Amino acid sequence: MIELKNIEKTYRRGVENVRALRGVNLTIDAGELMAIVGPSGAGKTTLLHILGCLDQPTKGEVVFDGISTASMPESQLVKIRREKIGFVFQQFYLIPGLSVFDNIALPLLFSKKPAEHKKIEQLAEMVGLEHRLNHAPSQLSGGEMQRTAIARGLVNDPAVLLADEPTGNLDSENSEKIYAILRRLSDEGLTTIMITHNPELAGRAERTIKIRDGLICS
Amino acid sequence: MTSYLKLAAKNILRHRTRSLLTMLGIAASVGVLFAVLSFNKGFTEGLALELERTGLHFMIVPSGCAHEVAALVLHGAVIPKFLDTGVMEHVERTEGIDLATPILVAQLPDRQRGKIDLIYGIEMDVLEAIKPGWEITGTVPRHEHEVLLGYEVAQHDNLKPGDPFSSPAEGVDLVVAGIVGYSGSQDDAFVYLPIKTAQSLLGYPQSATAIGVKVDDPTRIGAITASLTSAVPGIQIVTMSEVMNSVANLAAAARALSLAIVLIAILISAVGVMNSILMAVFERTQEIGMMRAVGASRWDIFRIILSETTILALVGGVVGIVLATLGARLIETFVRSVMPFVPSGDMIRFEPIVALGSVAFIFVIGLCAGIYPAVKASKINPVEAIKG
Repeated sequence: MIELKNIEKTYRRGVENVRALRGVNLTIDAGELMAIVGPSGAGKTTLLHILGCLDQPTKGEVVFDGISTASMPESQLVKIRREKIGFVFQQFYLIPGLSVFDNIALPLLFSKKPAEHKKIEQLAEMVGLEHRLNHAPSQLSGGEMQRTAIARGLVNDPAVLLADEPTGNLDSENSEKIYAILRRLSDEGLTTIMITHNPELAGRAERTIKIRDGLICS
Repeated sequence: MTSYLKLAAKNILRHRTRSLLTMLGIAASVGVLFAVLSFNKGFTEGLALELERTGLHFMIVPSGCAHEVAALVLHGAVIPKFLDTGVMEHVERTEGIDLATPILVAQLPDRQRGKIDLIYGIEMDVLEAIKPGWEITGTVPRHEHEVLLGYEVAQHDNLKPGDPFSSPAEGVDLVVAGIVGYSGSQDDAFVYLPIKTAQSLLGYPQSATAIGVKVDDPTRIGAITASLTSAVPGIQIVTMSEVMNSVANLAAAARALSLAIVLIAILISAVGVMNSILMAVFERTQEIGMMRAVGASRWDIFRIILSETTILALVGGVVGIVLATLGARLIETFVRSVMPFVPSGDMIRFEPIVALGSVAFIFVIGLCAGIYPAVKASKINPVEAIKG
């Protein structure tokens, strides 16, 4: 489904060039639940951003559903992000002024689709927040905020869900709930890729890749 | 249902105090813009009405006093030169004159009441002829020591017909014969006296500041004035439209200054809007990065930020108009104190066209002020933004 061919990524930090990825080759199958692990600064997030068409590699090629994204204009990459990719972040990034309902529906605004109540309610129910739809993010616990962010990542029916340390700010109980949701989504056929520092959660994924110094080492 | 406008409105409400202060800056500048534009419109209309109410077509004055005539007609200014009433004989002999009357207008200090009266000396039958629309409580003066008071004078001193009216001249006892109903014009500020009484009180027994003339046929004013100017030396003829132009020219500088100040205020408030929105953009960098990640294009981000400035400008504009309308009296008092020759009556009224024009103007200014922050936001690199 997604194929990375010899991906390199170099960016500037001050006066020095940082080689975040040094030739990554990776194939991800549809419906797979994959964990990416590795120390801080290894290049995990950079890899996730390239997988999500949020960043472009300096060298190499990303093939998404058989189509190379290498020479795609920004507008095409935006379209892929809208239609095929869902993002979940460690910091949740919910908009404080909007209700849970509106936060979940936010990506529909950009994809110009109507925010159907039934669909939002189903997503909220799936993440266990059907009773919280009218609440503000400030009224939610950390776990609830992350579940809202997962529902937001799913609202455009993506083919891939990319989660950057989704349990990084949560206690073990809430981490378990988040993992259970991701597991269920994967079982239902959604390709799910998560970065985690939790070895126990990584061990339960179908596949775990370890990144070190910009290279996949296992 | 989330929309760009709802999202923008929610973002504005996240920093209520900052948004309120920014909006108040816009409201203040739009309010003053509306007040000045509305005042200018009211000024022009009020001046035309005031001149029409004099009932005269032109005035004969000593040569070189055109601007002073403008002042005396409207405000009873002191004129340093006088016409001899002998000029009247020439005027009355001229063909096409319906009515001619010497007018003596001057300020007369009254130490007893501690104020200065604006004296308007004129033949009383002429006054009745040129002011047919006046509603008078009491009568027009029939005797030499009777006076007719303008509405504001009577209100100020709480006088009614039959009351004595203090006179600065010893041995002259004046009585109020009548009071003119409220006209909303300069007429309300005068004390009307028979011309002879005015000349006696002021110590100019044979003089007049001007001779007011009404002609039979207004289309012949040009020919009549040419005839008079050639026949009588040392006079100048000023038509009412020239008076209006003179006053309008004198006021133009003050109006230009007011508008320049308003434009500077609007510029400052526009910079305030830009600063406020720019701060909001910087504070929401990560959030903008998230929106880009979940499918927002650069254009989507541009629209959201521009919507915020638009909302601030529009709400500020409408609030400014409402405040200016509610505080019209206060603003009018202030503007009157800095602008010369302002006609009587309400100058600042709610004019839909002026209000719409003011809001449309600030809308455009708001859009311009929002472009830079919106471009800045749309150029945020989502990867760097999310990393924080």
